[in-house]
Amino acid sequence: MAAAGSPSATLRRRDLRSRGIRLAGKMRSDVIDLLDAYMEQQGLDASVSVAAVEGVPAAAAEHWDEQTGTQRLLENLAAYRTFRALLAQMLEEQREQLGEADAALGRALAAVLLQVSAFIYHLEELLRLESRSPPSEEGTGPPLAPHLSLFERKLRGLGVLRELAQWAVRSVRDLRQLAKASPGSSSAPSPAESP
Amino acid sequence: AFVPLTPRILSLKPDFSTSTLNLKWSDNGSAFPYGLDAIWQIQILRKEAMEKVTQVNYYSKLTHEDIVLSWNWASDMPLECTSHYVKIRCYVNVTQFVGPMNWSDWSPVEKVAGKDTDANESGVFPQDTVVAVGSDVTICCVHKEGQWIKQMMYGPEIYPMIHLSSRSSAIRVLNASASDTSGTNVVCMLSEDGMEGTVLFVGYAPDTPQNLSCETSNFLIIKCTWKPGRPSGLYGKRGTKYSLFERISGKNVSCEVNEMNRERVCGFPVLADQKTYDFVLGVSNPIGQTESSILIDLTQRVHPKTPEKLTVYGNSSTSVRLRWFINSSFADIRLLCQIETSSGHSEQKLHNVSMPGGKFSTYTAQLNTLHPYTKYHFRVRCSAADHFWKWSDWSRIEEHTTLEA
Repeated sequence: MAAAGSPSATLRRRDLRSRGIRLAGKMRSDVIDLLDAYMEQQGLDASVSVAAVEGVPAAAAEHWDEQTGTQRLLENLAAYRTFRALLAQMLEEQREQLGEADAALGRALAAVLLQVSAFIYHLEELLRLESRSPPSEEGTGPPLAPHLSLFERKLRGLGVLRELAQWAVRSVRDLRQLAKASPGSSSAPSPAESP
Repeated sequence: AFVPLTPRILSLKPDFSTSTLNLKWSDNGSAFPYGLDAIWQIQILRKEAMEKVTQVNYYSKLTHEDIVLSWNWASDMPLECTSHYVKIRCYVNVTQFVGPMNWSDWSPVEKVAGKDTDANESGVFPQDTVVAVGSDVTICCVHKEGQWIKQMMYGPEIYPMIHLSSRSSAIRVLNASASDTSGTNVVCMLSEDGMEGTVLFVGYAPDTPQNLSCETSNFLIIKCTWKPGRPSGLYGKRGTKYSLFERISGKNVSCEVNEMNRERVCGFPVLADQKTYDFVLGVSNPIGQTESSILIDLTQRVHPKTPEKLTVYGNSSTSVRLRWFINSSFADIRLLCQIETSSGHSEQKLHNVSMPGGKFSTYTAQLNTLHPYTKYHFRVRCSAADHFWKWSDWSRIEEHTTLEA
């Protein structure tokens, strides 16, 4: 693997970042579409407010502007790994509850899950370019969802998708922040630009 | 006046899943001569105010022994919604007694506590239940102390609330219509942005399967098909389940069915040494069940697979030999195959040939009286010779030109 500071590593880093930004942008618009379809299919009103859902990583970050580049990548990676598990859980529940009845929503959910997995790959590669091996995944799955009623599961799904949309926005900013900070060392705090 | 002893309730047990109360009491029959008629008056009360819901008379005959009597009552409201109370009294027609006779006193009240009496409990009930289209459903919202209900919605509609207790109110949905695939949400909006909810699935009992038909294409699997009739409106784990039971062998198979297909299919293994099959197709979902049955002689329900690898050869000007393969086992029957020939200047002709069936065999036939130096199109299909049921599909067309005369 190329040394962290070598020209090829820099080129690879810039490529991964720009593709990561595009993917995060696409993910956001797909999640927004999925949210609309989900709410309609689950009979939920757009005005429904969902309290913070246990086990779903919050996109809002305190001291966002003071984070180092590696911290940003690690937080993004942890969050999207959790979303991957949550979306897989939702897909399973969708099949159990609806069978073949609403395959379109199942396909849309699976498509977003695929994007999340792809974005995880980008983040892991970016970390490797910082000579940081991505943390292992053992035992980091989301907490087992306590026994929830169907209505609570519907709300939980809504909370997951809403937060994922927020994370996609944050990830674009994080990756842009990385791009700005890259001439200097990656651990230098980034200039203030909170999400 | 004669007044019987106050009856003693032995137990009052709730079944929350069916919203049913089971009452057991002793008839104290040992205190009476044999054969007297007794009337038991049972009163059900509900809510914080212990309003009377219903009063029922139960009749029994005393047998000079103490018998435990039992009686069930299905509530029109989930038992979780509020506390239910029961009391009972009796009247014994003592024929030997000359003076006036009266009812006994009421028994002490027995209570089944609602969730609205448990400080830690809240929620909307019934939870995630299934009801039939047209049902009248009572749905309640139990909330924590200090909270209050802003509104209760059934789907998109706000419903008037019925007060049950300080921590519980209900709505009454009449003649419920079929819900969407993900069910109808019942949302209880509470003070301080609180929200509780449940999902109600409103659907139909399964329709009796129509056009049930069973056949085999290979004497390995029997394929039964049917039309499901009216969709139940219930999906996933609440969807309609099908199973195929064969009475003669006693074998039962559950069917994997895709709800979205118009036609349903289920496979059943052909059993050794069994020609007749007496099938019952069982159909059930959370609302009801039904069945259809069919009796078949398998040799009369053969629908062969499409003939494959058709080849036409011959070194004659007026005859050809055809060879084809059928990927099935027809060892126990004779086959009737039909060869269609067509050429540019003559209309299509059909030639029937019959032959003993084989096990995953190649079959051959010869056609004579063809025209010399003529390009022909050949194709073949087969069926059971002795009891025709269905033709297979046609094979692919094979082209062949006869030699010059």
